[in-house]
Amino acid sequence: MPQYVMVIDRGKCVGCQSCTVACRVHNDLPVSVIYNPVVTNGVTGLFPHVHMTHVPLLCMHCRNTPCVDACPTKASQQREDGIVWVDQDMCVGCKACIMSCPYGARSSHDGVAWKCTFCKERVDAGEKPYCVNTCHQKARSFGDLDDPASEVAQLVGAKGGQWLLGELNTQPGVYYIN
Amino acid sequence: MSNESEAGVEVRKCCCYFCHNNCGVLAYVKDGELLRFEGDPDHPASSGGLCCRGNLQLQHLHHPDRVNHPLKRIGPKGSGQWESISWEQAIDEIGAKLEQIRAESGAEAVATAGGTLRTDDWARRRFMNAFGSPNSFHNAHLCWIPTFMVEMTVYGWCPFEIDVGQARCIVLWGQNPGASSMPAQAGFTNLQRENGLKVIVIDPRYTESAAKADLWLPIRPGSDLALALAWINVIITEKLHNADFVKNYCEGFKELRKHVKDFTPEWAAELTWLDPEQIRAGARMYAANTPGNIQWAPAVDQQGPPAGECMHARAILRALTGNLDGPGADILTGPAQDYLTDEEMEANDLLPEEQKGKQLGADKYKLTTWPGYTLIAEQSKKFWGKAPTAEWMCEAHPPSVYRAILSGKPYQVRALLVSATNPVNSYGNSREVLAALEKVEFMTCCDYFLTPTAMLADYVLPIAGSMERPSVHTNYGVSDALVASQRAIAPLYQRKTDFDFWRLLGLRLGQAEHWPWETLEDAYFYQIANLAENFYGSESYDAFVEWPRFHYPEREFNRYLEHGFGTPSGKVELKSSILEQLGYPPLPVYVPPAESETANPELAEEFPLVLTTAGGFMPYHHSEHFNLPSVRFLAHEPYTDINPRTAGHYGIKNGDWVWIETRRGRIRQKANLTEAVMPRVVMTQRGWWFPERDMRLPELGGCLESNANVLTSTEDAHCDPLGGSWANRGLLCRIYKAE
Repeated sequence: MPQYVMVIDRGKCVGCQSCTVACRVHNDLPVSVIYNPVVTNGVTGLFPHVHMTHVPLLCMHCRNTPCVDACPTKASQQREDGIVWVDQDMCVGCKACIMSCPYGARSSHDGVAWKCTFCKERVDAGEKPYCVNTCHQKARSFGDLDDPASEVAQLVGAKGGQWLLGELNTQPGVYYIN
Repeated sequence: MSNESEAGVEVRKCCCYFCHNNCGVLAYVKDGELLRFEGDPDHPASSGGLCCRGNLQLQHLHHPDRVNHPLKRIGPKGSGQWESISWEQAIDEIGAKLEQIRAESGAEAVATAGGTLRTDDWARRRFMNAFGSPNSFHNAHLCWIPTFMVEMTVYGWCPFEIDVGQARCIVLWGQNPGASSMPAQAGFTNLQRENGLKVIVIDPRYTESAAKADLWLPIRPGSDLALALAWINVIITEKLHNADFVKNYCEGFKELRKHVKDFTPEWAAELTWLDPEQIRAGARMYAANTPGNIQWAPAVDQQGPPAGECMHARAILRALTGNLDGPGADILTGPAQDYLTDEEMEANDLLPEEQKGKQLGADKYKLTTWPGYTLIAEQSKKFWGKAPTAEWMCEAHPPSVYRAILSGKPYQVRALLVSATNPVNSYGNSREVLAALEKVEFMTCCDYFLTPTAMLADYVLPIAGSMERPSVHTNYGVSDALVASQRAIAPLYQRKTDFDFWRLLGLRLGQAEHWPWETLEDAYFYQIANLAENFYGSESYDAFVEWPRFHYPEREFNRYLEHGFGTPSGKVELKSSILEQLGYPPLPVYVPPAESETANPELAEEFPLVLTTAGGFMPYHHSEHFNLPSVRFLAHEPYTDINPRTAGHYGIKNGDWVWIETRRGRIRQKANLTEAVMPRVVMTQRGWWFPERDMRLPELGGCLESNANVLTSTEDAHCDPLGGSWANRGLLCRIYKAE
């Protein structure tokens, strides 16, 4: 069983938000729902000694899933390949998952929870998530961490990869490199 | 999903048309309907990427505000009262009016305004040549074209093709590919990591690209010429130039050395607001890390008076360092030899000499009009066998045309055929442009939407968008390479391409012999016939797009070793004989920006800050896409960058509406307090109008309210004498809180 992860190279990201838009339009999301915002840190410092970096955010597809644990109806689920998703037919809109997610990756709309699914239907068809393909900077890589030949495994092998809020032991499936 | 086995789904190789990167798009089409699309991973430039806008093909295609039928104005100008008519009626009535004007006032009384490269402008020029008018124009003067022409005079072609893969250094001169040429930014970042490429960014603002640079030079807007002259001085003084190349292949070095003696970094420091050591560091990094590139961007083109001199100085920098035509350098490809260039499609021989002499602005701005173009085209034909495109490189001077509409001098321009532009927002000095558009006797507009300009037209023609038209990408008709794309679907409703417009109008006006191609694909296939027959065996245009889609001739480096350069002397003319012949300084002299604290101290007391109005920003392109909610949510309102210290001085808080005012007028944008700009610099966003507002006169979509071009200057004294560019950057302004 593959273990799907995303590796995001912050050194390549320019903060253009193309991933944000691609995700919204191709997944046909409601206006108030954004799965993958890009947070720009900066410009920090005082001119001309300034700095600017970007952090693309999305569901971390944690291996320890506070959201799945919090869900009273089992609508929030994790597949064996690591992808976390919500069966909206089973969701009662209690927002427990939203409260439990330390990454703010879920939102509520129309009485149910919404979140990034790594575009699981595309993944099942052998495709990559929309946000990966649309990125001109090729800042995002997606694939099977257990496959040593995969791009993600090689990137994590070569560059390590940081977890956001790793100290919470959520064991995210999203790795940040520089 | 590219589930190509899905029954009846065809994959078409298209391109995005929302800027001129023309990124590749794979469109999935069934029964004439566009189902979905994605970036084309095999596209040679975009490799599958699509920016925010590129993802909105369906939203654009089916936008409820698209113009779908020819519209004829039936109420007063700007009243928004239209009647839908047929193309036949529209073309017949427009043709009749143009015939009447030509008969009464001469063909030159008809002018045509274009925007950026989203059209087939060889067709526009072909129509205008056959019609007899020399007055075609675009915003060309603000975007590359004068640079192209200056560089033609120095080394016989414009080295816009860069061999960055083998380069050690690249100068992004006022360029921010991180927001405006995103595939290029990806390449630079990778080369920095893998090859140790040094990236120098010259930009008043800490941009997306500056954030990734090895050296950032935040100069005073409009002071690029002083920087370029000082770099020449440093390179010569410190003997960093390529002595062999200069000795064997350049003319005028001795005069240049003497000429730049006083342009020291200390001299330039006061003008550029840089430290002399920063200036030296930049010059050394570029000159010591050869081969290298200087990447063009519109920053210099948009400065008005110093623009042409700066282009010349920048060209000299390439030559001094030998960064011309070798591996890793800026490459002189010359025009395409393997297919017909746009110039060969323009039928320039149809325009009588007498009419060329009537081109508006040709008496003042000689380099980019018939006088300079004629010299350069002759030289180019002698050396390369072909000339650069006349449309773009040889155009009427836009502000001179608008003033001719208003003043009737030197003659009355009576008709304006607008295609793919919204001049109220995209040309300089918007109040003057708006007055001209309100006054002009007859105006047609080819567009996707009813822009503020289209609202003033007598006829609006519905134009096919990116998924509804094929395109051939040849960089304004002057690249030797070519990328071709096909339509995903036939145009919806009664939309047609701009080619169709010019052709139909041509047929109506008796130009049948010049328009043998029924469709744009036919015309393109004619243009690439040699490629199809002798290279790839393609049986139709669509077949060529399916394979190979693009054509890159084999790169031939250092042609000059055998052939010399395409200048009158056959050498790089540091001291340009063509510029001298046209009455311009043969070596680049210092010219201050249109307005500056050093040259206009009294004005600076009243307007103490320095304004730049330009720079592309995501998610918009020029004056477009404000009507697409799927990107508008990212940037709902116009913002002006102001340093927090400056804002504090004026009692302005982040998010406050502020007035930005120059001698021309004032506009309102929201304050974005940021340390990305220096305390004396204010940077507005360009293009803004508000499609959600009342589009009728007098509101006209709020087209003057936040429009940076209200602030820019087009008076003749503020235009570059060589190429006619007007002043968008480096102007003096003041700001204050809007109550």
